[in-house]
Amino acid sequence: MKITYPHMGSLNMILKTMFEGIGIEVIDPPPSSNKTLTLGVRNSHEFVCLPFKINVGNFIEALEKGADTIVMLGGIGPCRFGYYGQVQREILKDLGYNFEMIILDPPHGRVKDFLKELASHFPNVDWKVALKSFMLAVKKMIAADKLEKFLLIQRAHEDAPGITTKIYEEYIKKLEKAQNAREINQILSEGMNKIKQNANVKRKIQLRVALVGEIYMLLEPSTNMNIGKTLNELGVEVTKTEYLSDYLINSAFKLPQRLEFKKNARGYLERDIGGHGLNTVANTVKYAKLKYDGVIHILPFTCTPEIIAQGIIAKVSRDYDIPVMSLVYDENTGQAGYQTRIEAFVDLLYKRRGL
Amino acid sequence: MGKIVGIPKGLLYYDFYPMWKTFFEVLGAKVITSQNTNKKIVDDGVKNSVEDACLPVKTYVGHVMDLKERGVDYIFIPRIVSVEKKKYLCSKFLGLPDFIKSLIKDLPPVIDIEINYYKDEEFTKREFIRAGKMLGRTKGDALKAYLKGMEEQRRFKNLLKEGFTNLEALKMWEEGKVKVREERRRFDLKIALLSHPYNIMDEYISMGLIEKLRNMGAEVITVEMLNKASILEGVAFLPKDIFWTYERDILGAGMYFLKKKGVDGVIMVSAFGCGPNSMTEELLERFYKREKNLPFMLLTIDEHTGEAGVMTRIEAFVDLLRFNKKAVVV
Repeated sequence: MKITYPHMGSLNMILKTMFEGIGIEVIDPPPSSNKTLTLGVRNSHEFVCLPFKINVGNFIEALEKGADTIVMLGGIGPCRFGYYGQVQREILKDLGYNFEMIILDPPHGRVKDFLKELASHFPNVDWKVALKSFMLAVKKMIAADKLEKFLLIQRAHEDAPGITTKIYEEYIKKLEKAQNAREINQILSEGMNKIKQNANVKRKIQLRVALVGEIYMLLEPSTNMNIGKTLNELGVEVTKTEYLSDYLINSAFKLPQRLEFKKNARGYLERDIGGHGLNTVANTVKYAKLKYDGVIHILPFTCTPEIIAQGIIAKVSRDYDIPVMSLVYDENTGQAGYQTRIEAFVDLLYKRRGL
Repeated sequence: MGKIVGIPKGLLYYDFYPMWKTFFEVLGAKVITSQNTNKKIVDDGVKNSVEDACLPVKTYVGHVMDLKERGVDYIFIPRIVSVEKKKYLCSKFLGLPDFIKSLIKDLPPVIDIEINYYKDEEFTKREFIRAGKMLGRTKGDALKAYLKGMEEQRRFKNLLKEGFTNLEALKMWEEGKVKVREERRRFDLKIALLSHPYNIMDEYISMGLIEKLRNMGAEVITVEMLNKASILEGVAFLPKDIFWTYERDILGAGMYFLKKKGVDGVIMVSAFGCGPNSMTEELLERFYKREKNLPFMLLTIDEHTGEAGVMTRIEAFVDLLRFNKKAVVV
């Protein structure tokens, strides 16, 4: 069995650690590229959302590399992500690939049950071993996310262009290879120190921008054209509101984060509408209250929950007097066009601060 | 004098108007609807909506503005989460009242109760009681109105199963006349129309698609005319059921016709940018292509769709179906 999965931020690192931990061969799809997108677009419905298309591209590239089993998450709606796997399987079948697709329903409640279900697809695996490698994988993910959060602030102050990004990439690679919790912690603190040492630029006016929106678009720098880096290079500190670790831990352990979202969104959006629509509204309110300079909302074309959120946060923007810009991404999005829009947005933010 | 409750003529109006109208009228309110969709309504909707929203949502925004201009006491914009157990509706219905309230300023009070049968009926009953309280009526009154509404809804649903379109059934229900289905024309073709009623029942948005097909000699079968058993029979051919009610119906009907025939061709109509349809279209198109024995056409409509283009495509499709038929007979 040669297993593969779609890319989504640092997800591949966790899945790889987990599956290799239980002795299953993993075929990582090549990093998402223009070729991946082209393959996905060619074989998907015109109006399906961008993550779906990139998944299809990932799968095709991985199957070409010799994978024979695809692991995909399912769901119970109302976001269409929950039905992705069912449709993708038919697309790949029509392309003539021979493979098995395992569609796992997301963990509702206990991680243990989720792993048990997972283990049922791999009869020779002890789920206790699986749990152990899963926990190591989760620790890596949390560390990687911490490092990214730190980078998105510090890179705005870096001494030479690109220097902190280089350090970050180096330490992410080290994290991937880490064998235990002690090593993970050591790599993390070393990486943070090194980034800090190379970020000493101070400004009179320091802008802060929150990135809200659809989780896949926020997690995959290749699909959002690395918007965090673009903003950092314009001297803006960035707070990204979606991380894989937050998401997985919240959906696995039912932490009170959802209640916090509901509280923040009250008066604007009164319930979960699927996908990350509620998060987008709640986070926009949260960072408006924290007096951030602006909010950038990113979403894939035709994403229904985010379109509803887009209408609502326009009102949040008026009520709290905070600039909000929505960027819609699809396969035709051009880098130059968005660079211009982001620069104009940042100029506006400086103007508002009197510069 | 009773208060005036306005109901926008869009989205699930075509599915639940009898229930909603009865409920408010039993409670002593006067119910008015917005006008039929027209250019102004669509323009208002497009102007005041989010660019990427689908056409039915934009049109709905236009209908709400129409009601606002006409000065009603309340506007009924329910948050429809689920209309049956363990199934959802598309996200846009879940956030609809919030979305509309954010887009349109100075709205009259909105009755934004949550219709949610995901777990049971009790929740929704409580919400209708809340609507009754907004109109100053007691719990008992509201429950009575709710039950009466459900009864009227059943009568309306029965008309659909007799082969009337939602629009015809709504008219018959409102006028209280029981008609026998007239065999207006001799139809030599049968075409299934797979779509949300808010696309094909809105004669402005769909450019009178149903009448056009009938004028070409085709009898039209919609998803709503099928009984639940047939839909579930169709669903059983899918690898996995889908979690949206209306998409389940469309997929189920599509698979039912593909496997059981009974129609000469199938047209699927969807709105530009429709999220759920991107999944159902993809699946149906693939399943139809694999079997290659029932003609299938996709028709996408948006605010720029030209009537001539649609006409050309359905004419060509109908010609193809006739050609197929003769090939079999001869």
